[in-house]
Amino acid sequence: MSVSTLDRPLPRPLPQGEGRRKIRRHLRLWLWCYAMLLPVLAIYAFVRIWPIARTVMLSFYNWRLIARVRPFVGLANYERMFSDANFQIAIWNTTVYSLSIVLISTIIALPLAVVLARRGRMSAVYQTIYFLPVITPLVPMCIAWKWIYDYNYGILNYILSLVGIPPIAWLTDAHMALWALVIMGVWKVLGFNLVIFLVGIRNIPASYLEAASLDGANELQKFWRVTLPLLRPILLYVLVTATINAYNVFTQVYVMTLGSQDAPGQAVRVLVYDIYQNAFQYFRMGYASAEAVALTFIVLGLTLIQFRAFREREAG
Amino acid sequence: MTGRSPSGRALGRRDALALGGAAAAVAAIPTARADTHLTVWTGYPEIQPMYQAVAAEYAKSHPGVTFDFFSTTLREFEQKLSAAVPTGTGPDVYDIGTNISVNFIDNSLLDPNPPEIDAYMKSGPWDKFTVDFFTTDGKTYGLPFLEGSRASMYWNKTYFKEAGLSGPPATFPELIEDAKKLVKFDSQGRMTRSGISLRLSGQGSGIGEKFRYILEAAGGSAIERTPSGKWHNGYDNQAGRDALTFYVDAVQTWHIDDPKVLHDADAFATGATAMLFRESWVIGEIQSKNPNLDYGVAPIPAWKAGMPRMMMLQPEGVYVSGQSSNKAVAWDFVKFLTNPENGLRLTEMTGWLSPRQDIDWKPLLAKTPQFKTFVSPPADIKYYVEPVLTAWDEIETRLADRLTAAYVDPSLKGNPKNIAAAIHSMAQQTDQVLKDANLYGT
Repeated sequence: MSVSTLDRPLPRPLPQGEGRRKIRRHLRLWLWCYAMLLPVLAIYAFVRIWPIARTVMLSFYNWRLIARVRPFVGLANYERMFSDANFQIAIWNTTVYSLSIVLISTIIALPLAVVLARRGRMSAVYQTIYFLPVITPLVPMCIAWKWIYDYNYGILNYILSLVGIPPIAWLTDAHMALWALVIMGVWKVLGFNLVIFLVGIRNIPASYLEAASLDGANELQKFWRVTLPLLRPILLYVLVTATINAYNVFTQVYVMTLGSQDAPGQAVRVLVYDIYQNAFQYFRMGYASAEAVALTFIVLGLTLIQFRAFREREAG
Repeated sequence: MTGRSPSGRALGRRDALALGGAAAAVAAIPTARADTHLTVWTGYPEIQPMYQAVAAEYAKSHPGVTFDFFSTTLREFEQKLSAAVPTGTGPDVYDIGTNISVNFIDNSLLDPNPPEIDAYMKSGPWDKFTVDFFTTDGKTYGLPFLEGSRASMYWNKTYFKEAGLSGPPATFPELIEDAKKLVKFDSQGRMTRSGISLRLSGQGSGIGEKFRYILEAAGGSAIERTPSGKWHNGYDNQAGRDALTFYVDAVQTWHIDDPKVLHDADAFATGATAMLFRESWVIGEIQSKNPNLDYGVAPIPAWKAGMPRMMMLQPEGVYVSGQSSNKAVAWDFVKFLTNPENGLRLTEMTGWLSPRQDIDWKPLLAKTPQFKTFVSPPADIKYYVEPVLTAWDEIETRLADRLTAAYVDPSLKGNPKNIAAAIHSMAQQTDQVLKDANLYGT
């Protein structure tokens, strides 16, 4: 027999003094907690929130690093971006780079993770090998890759020559330079994606896969029907983090365009490099800030699209 | 007699206090001197050992002064200094090009030279051109430290001899013909040695600067000053088109250079190219990397017979920060750093030239005759300078971005119309940068 709300006895009101004391006790506890959290929150706000707010603010000014007058220009910096050829090249290159990195690294890492999840004797060794690039410092690695890509003495062209492929000017050919960066980028993030997928796969209950086997599913069917759907949250995480990281690419571009034997700057111009150049070489801090805000919105937009796409699939 | 002075007067409490005070004051002088610490920043890591040697020498006569040095690559240094000086975290002494110092001067971050330094600068060690270069609105800033260009042509004597060439080319048509004879390919048609190493790839204003070697020879200039004192591009003309055509043809038609082969000073020092346009510091590189290389240095050729040979001048200064708390000592050190002995030391140790005109170069030339073109260029040479403008670095860098793509663009090969369109587009960009900086005028 169900008891309606009205049938329930009303809670006994607390005596007036006791209620106040309780509220005061709670208030004191909250205050204490927030007071304790305040230094951390203040530091967080100072190092994370304030620079972002300041960047947004600067984007409305003609703010030059070395200048006495820094006038408010409203949306002029944003308007300028639409006619700035360098910004447009940077957007295009960054998008091509990011899409390539995210797609290629995911497509390679996922099946690799399925294979390595089987806990073979060499599984741990392979995981370590794949993960090594993730923990290796980027600048020395870029220098090493410059040698790998060297037209005359690079090992990559040597390996290609063994199968009869003529040498490729990986860095100095304007059409190849961006792809050279993509190859290096995939090499760098592959291990990270792989480990994340591996963790996800190993958390899938074995009983699901056993049930699928009993139903007669082959390996491919088990992957498509069981593993992949259950990996969706992990896949979303990998896609989102890989996209954010790829859009923020800088070090590789900077190091690999430094010398006379390196990539032509314009062929591999990416957004963060363009921001850096405007900010610290041309001292146009206001314009660079506008570009940084644009980059934030681009990445935020892409992240939301990815979340939405996955949510719609789940709902479907 | 104990407790009495030699004069017989007793040493009173007041005397003792006065003596104590005097002793403390005397003791305080060395303490203050010991506290004089100068930070010195340079954008030329190869010059740091010279700075250290000069500082060690200076410290012998000024035992209280200590130094702290920092150096990094020029572009990074420019950025670091530009961020540090406005925030008051910069060094006491720094060397930098006028492309950056002009910003500091414009924004009162650099003081005019003190009267005694101003008088010293104008007393004859430097020629009028150099003094004028460091003068803004009638006031001098910094002391000239090194000549950053006087770029000339390095040529490999062994290769020239092998190719049956008696000496360096005097004009660009000769250079092209010589380069065709000097370039080498392997059996598969791949270039193994370039006829001339041009700057074709990478990033940064250096590409634009090297383009100017050709552009100025052809009779153009990156920017031109108008009678109103403003500026506009100086290469949307035949000279600009000729200069770009030279590069495009060098890579795509004559095949005397190729972006794929080794370039720049390394290429010349290792014998991977027969000719190179560069500054005097390459001599230092050759001495350290391949001292047996048989090479000569000549002025960059004339565009054609009857036209002048051109040479870029790019004096760079050493400055005392307007925010330094040790200005007197810092200026004294800067004066010492730029004296004739240390000017010679700079060139001997690094290959960079001192712009002083009172240095006796004979001992250096006896040892390294290749310096001759740099320290005493032929009389017929015409000079052009690095413009002292806040927007200059941006102009050159943005031009460089476009040039690297143009050099290898197949649509420009043998197509004067496309060359003209490419140059026009680059020139418009240059004018836009000038407009943004409120420096544009016709």
